[in-house]
Amino acid sequence: MRELARGAAVMGRVIYALALRETRTRYGQHRAGYLWALAEPLFFIGTFFLMFWFANRTAPGGMEVIPFLATGVLGYDIAVKTMDRVSLSVEGNRPLLFYPHVQPLDVAFARALLEFATGVVVFAIILGAYSLWVGELVIDNFLVVLQGMTLAAVLGLSAGLVLCAVTVMNNAVQRIKGPLLRPLFWVSGLFFTANMVPSSAREYLMWNPVLHCTEIIRDGWFPQYHAHSASPTYVLIFSVVLMFIGLTLERRVRPRVQLT
Amino acid sequence: MISLTDVTKAYPTQSGLHVVLDNLSCVFEDKVSYGILGVNGAGKSTLLRLLGGAEHPDAGKIERSGRVSWPIGFAGGFSLALSGEENCRFVARIYGADFDEVIEYARDFADIGEYFHMPVRTYSSGMRARLAFGLSMAIDFDTYLVDEVTAVGDSRFREKCKHVFTERRERSSVIIVSHELGTIKQYADRYALLRRGKLELYDDLAEVEKLYKTAA
Repeated sequence: MRELARGAAVMGRVIYALALRETRTRYGQHRAGYLWALAEPLFFIGTFFLMFWFANRTAPGGMEVIPFLATGVLGYDIAVKTMDRVSLSVEGNRPLLFYPHVQPLDVAFARALLEFATGVVVFAIILGAYSLWVGELVIDNFLVVLQGMTLAAVLGLSAGLVLCAVTVMNNAVQRIKGPLLRPLFWVSGLFFTANMVPSSAREYLMWNPVLHCTEIIRDGWFPQYHAHSASPTYVLIFSVVLMFIGLTLERRVRPRVQLT
Repeated sequence: MISLTDVTKAYPTQSGLHVVLDNLSCVFEDKVSYGILGVNGAGKSTLLRLLGGAEHPDAGKIERSGRVSWPIGFAGGFSLALSGEENCRFVARIYGADFDEVIEYARDFADIGEYFHMPVRTYSSGMRARLAFGLSMAIDFDTYLVDEVTAVGDSRFREKCKHVFTERRERSSVIIVSHELGTIKQYADRYALLRRGKLELYDDLAEVEKLYKTAA
């Protein structure tokens, strides 16, 4: 029991140190640094806001366009970026694995933690700035928003662990991962809500756990939106299964992680 | 103390499996300094990584008591984009040591001047080794694993290494690997030869010397 507590203390220390270090190496290189984390989603929101505006389209269900786009892209980003970063935990951090204290899983957790924290901060800044602009802030249920984001992060971490182990076996995976997952961008509710698609299509769309996450975030943010088809349990089960596969694979490939 | 029981480690290569350690069993005792000799490619660095726990054996068991350092040497360990100071801070953090003490000690020991605040990418390999050495000595370990590192630097730096080793030997043990007989002679109390996946321990340097010369 004491061994376990000591191990947990070391792991906590290592994850904390790694997260700080990641912040530095990821965002500290440029002068604008952390602003880059904001720029990308802002660019997306700006582009699609203009497209909506020119096409004279409004957001579904009486939502305002900017919060509609922001909740979609930010939820999606937490899931996909976490997965992306976690999947490169071993590849990108070989020099650190030199320290016996630092295990691949620590790097994965540190990266997921940093992506989640960044996602929450970016969300708060963008929607906070928007609320200041329009002079009104109504959040239906803050905890549900946070729940959606947490689920997205857990999902990203689990999928990332699977990819990370597969990458150790064959790093060609990193090259085909992009095109393979591209469709996710179109089916995760960035431009639509589950309620507005015909139920025949919805049946299939709801297999995608990322869509559940964006739906939950919108349910929490907008008083007028109710995500009838989204289920936190589904995302959780999906993640636990992936996590189980990821951890099993990690154990199998562990001796194959070469440091030099 | 570190004890190895039936440890085997192999790497896949293009011409099949390359066995680095073959069913190896031995014990490294506390407060004894070991010098392990081996030709290039004999598996010295692999052995150190296994002893430290950064890599895991394919079969067998390695048990450690007390704090064991990471392998101190040229290769790996530093993030190239971060400065020497930031790297020290990171290591102090993961080992739960006091930042200021570790940074001060490492800076004094490495003695690389302004480079301490510049990215490790800009360092020469000698400077990296000096920093690695200073940093590891700044943290209290029961066993220090050293990979050739003392062969670098000028005579003043080598003198410093020798001094700190002598001082540490009273409370810690050192396991040093090298392909140079001179290094081993200088630092170790007991000697070993690593060849063909096996490790043979000797008390007498002359015997190792003879075997090593015929092997190399």
